[in-house]
Amino acid sequence: MVNSDSYIKIENLSISYEEDDGGRTSVLKNISLDIKKGEYLAVLGHNGSGKSTLAKLLNMILEPDEGKIYIDGKEITDPNMTEDDVFELRKKVGMVFQNPDNQLVATIVEDDVAFGPENLGIPSAEIRERVDEALRVVGMSEHAKGEPARLSGGQKQRIAIAGILAMKPDCMIFDESTAMLDPLGRRDIMNTIEKLNREHGITIIMITHYMDEAARANRIVVLDDGEILMDGTPAEIFEKQDKLRECGLDVPQCVGLVHSLKARGINIEGECHTPAACAEAIIAALNKRDGKN
Amino acid sequence: MAKIKLENVSFFYGKGTAYCKEALKNVNIEIKEGSITGLIGHTGSGKSTMLQLLNGLSTPGEGKVYLDGVDIWEKPKEIGKVRYRVGLVMQYPEYQLFEETVEKDIAFGPKNMGLSNEEISERIREAIDFVGLSPDVLQKNPFDLSGGQKRRVAIAGVIAMRPEVLVLDEPAAGLDPQGRDVILDGVFKYREKTGATIIIVSHSMEDMARLCDDIIVLSHGEVVLHGTRDEVFSESQMLERIGLAVPQITLLMHELSARGIKVNNGIYTESAAVEEIARLMKGTK
Repeated sequence: MVNSDSYIKIENLSISYEEDDGGRTSVLKNISLDIKKGEYLAVLGHNGSGKSTLAKLLNMILEPDEGKIYIDGKEITDPNMTEDDVFELRKKVGMVFQNPDNQLVATIVEDDVAFGPENLGIPSAEIRERVDEALRVVGMSEHAKGEPARLSGGQKQRIAIAGILAMKPDCMIFDESTAMLDPLGRRDIMNTIEKLNREHGITIIMITHYMDEAARANRIVVLDDGEILMDGTPAEIFEKQDKLRECGLDVPQCVGLVHSLKARGINIEGECHTPAACAEAIIAALNKRDGKN
Repeated sequence: MAKIKLENVSFFYGKGTAYCKEALKNVNIEIKEGSITGLIGHTGSGKSTMLQLLNGLSTPGEGKVYLDGVDIWEKPKEIGKVRYRVGLVMQYPEYQLFEETVEKDIAFGPKNMGLSNEEISERIREAIDFVGLSPDVLQKNPFDLSGGQKRRVAIAGVIAMRPEVLVLDEPAAGLDPQGRDVILDGVFKYREKTGATIIIVSHSMEDMARLCDDIIVLSHGEVVLHGTRDEVFSESQMLERIGLAVPQITLLMHELSARGIKVNNGIYTESAAVEEIARLMKGTK
């Protein structure tokens, strides 16, 4: 029975890869996870922890050895699924990859964005509408007639996002989509992701190595060697600084600062994983001290 | 004396065509021997172009590039020697691995230098030690390694040439925090042990704040700032204006200032911030 709340439900999922010598390496080990509709989930884990494999399973690029995945109540791991079913499901979950140069296919921006809906057999008048809307959402309308090759990395990623938006997905997976961008490009993409989630209700699964990016999600899942090590809000996750460092991760600088202050006997309480939240917490601590004086 | 000096250097892409773009505009910089210098700037600011000028992969359109006071293009036929002395690790260097074993891949550079076999093995051992790889990877196929390990093999291949100047273009991009630390620590160790000059490009201001002595800021092909990291990070408003981030710790200081708390806006490391907040908490209103 699938909970009506959960948009993606993963049950006892395992997958391994075959090695050259015939042996198998386990990548995901018996993972179960519920992702709610409209959730903004960040997935953290060191290189090789199984993050990208998980993403590829959700988009049916890979098939699991064992376990089930339900998307919107439908089992995508059902071996009796028809090609049409797969097609329908891929529309619902779009993926944005790391390298902006590997995702654009057309020589004109709007043609690139139209590529997805065209393949879905959507009438051309509606494609026009969808392309215009998608470019507007990512703030690239003025580049509609431009060449992708002349855009910056961040702009290219926004075009890649628009191409998926034009297929009207319920969920988008970002697999380290900011890793190759400069700070301005990263900021653009992070703001776009937040907008998609908040204003358009799109469920977001964001795989990242940047702790400050993960801090902006509603929920963080930490993968370690193919298993879910932690699952909670950013505040809950970043509180466990030592555990994170043990599995090759880190905390946002502000959280590290609060931990170091604590070691000096100075307690800053409350959420501290973004600079703004941390500033508020420090001010609250100052006020508390003054109240006591 | 400056280890590397760029004098009135300009560089053009597509010169003589309608699409001519001036990627570097009259750049004048001197890089101190034995320093770790960070190079930061937005995408397209000219960082990679500048790196390619340093070891003679590109020739400046105008101006001169000096290594130890000698124009590297004085004898164009000897530019190969400059490339051994100035080792360049490009972006995503793991895509350039090609040999059957890690050992052969790292040996490629030293072999081209005509070194003896003993000397080459010695250098391979030293290089993998810097990048934190254990000797048992040497006989492995590089394509069987993880992304982070491949990256380290590629960097070891350059270090094995024992360059006097080690130039790295975003060596930690795409790595997890531990992978990043191993590589940056390795670069630091290489400088400590050999006294080499390091030039490193990164988009991570936190990494730059931790590692660099000096920082050069490029924007639209021009050097807009060049100074110690203290000097450069104290210009945080300017950095943000030209599309760069500042470390999260600096942002925190700005957030506090914006809320009327008097703090030093130039702080960029955790330890300095701890002192600053401790001072705040001790003070009375």
